[in-house]
Amino acid sequence: MIEGGVATLLRSPCSLIVGTVDASGVPSATRAFGLQILENGSRLRLLLTSTGCPAVDNLRATGAIAVTGTDVHTLDSVQVKGRADVVEPATDADEPLFAQYTDQFFAKISASDGVPRDVVERLRPHSYIAVEMTVEALFDQTPGPRAGRALSSADS
Amino acid sequence: MSGGARIPLSSIAACFEGVIPAVIATAASDGTPNITHLTRVHMVDDERVALSNQFFSKTMRNLAENPNASVLLVDPFEFSEYRLTLRYERTERSGPLFDVLHRDVEAVAALTGMQGVFKLRSADVYRVIQIDDVTPA
Repeated sequence: MIEGGVATLLRSPCSLIVGTVDASGVPSATRAFGLQILENGSRLRLLLTSTGCPAVDNLRATGAIAVTGTDVHTLDSVQVKGRADVVEPATDADEPLFAQYTDQFFAKISASDGVPRDVVERLRPHSYIAVEMTVEALFDQTPGPRAGRALSSADS
Repeated sequence: MSGGARIPLSSIAACFEGVIPAVIATAASDGTPNITHLTRVHMVDDERVALSNQFFSKTMRNLAENPNASVLLVDPFEFSEYRLTLRYERTERSGPLFDVLHRDVEAVAALTGMQGVFKLRSADVYRVIQIDDVTPA
């Protein structure tokens, strides 16, 4: 269940990285560009780039998904693992989330790294899809000795 | 996306400067993926890279079961992005390669205030199977 500090982190303009796996066990890394917490923290809706990315085919084939959110300033990180059961075209309702996330995240990167905004904008995907997943496990991914430790609701 | 001639590792050398954290995905034998950042990716030769291993408990357990990995790299100057499909070969816990990565990780730790947190445990060497340019723009 995603709540408390974990929810705050994932709702922030944090780095969102996504891992998927194909039917033969080959993993693929990609990025998400927006995250919504659904059903009192038991599900997530993510916006993933849809071009040139094995993730979409992987999710349709296996459903296995891992998402890590990282605060780019503090490096506080959490990993969510679960199963994607919805892979669909993004809707008009997703656009505000995509716009807000990319605007805020790219601004953060530009400010912290001193890179011109128009350069950071090269990471903006031309199209994206929506994925919904059930939350099955949470892990602390903050760099340090606790990295990989399973989190419970009490840890939020 | 790459097609035709393979992108040479040397052509994406800026990605190995450690300015922007790389990303690594692995998978357990039961198909459960794991996704995390890593501090440094070092070009070993035209066909291999070495990844800094500081906290990779789950990553290493996955690689023991499934040697495949996927890494995202961002050029810190152009913000072009590349996905490397890798196959794990070996781990080095001492020697010249380890020393180079140790120095690089210490440098990043000093820049990010992570001294004492970023401690290199090993240099993990992978063969590069494929490089894809995944830059949207």
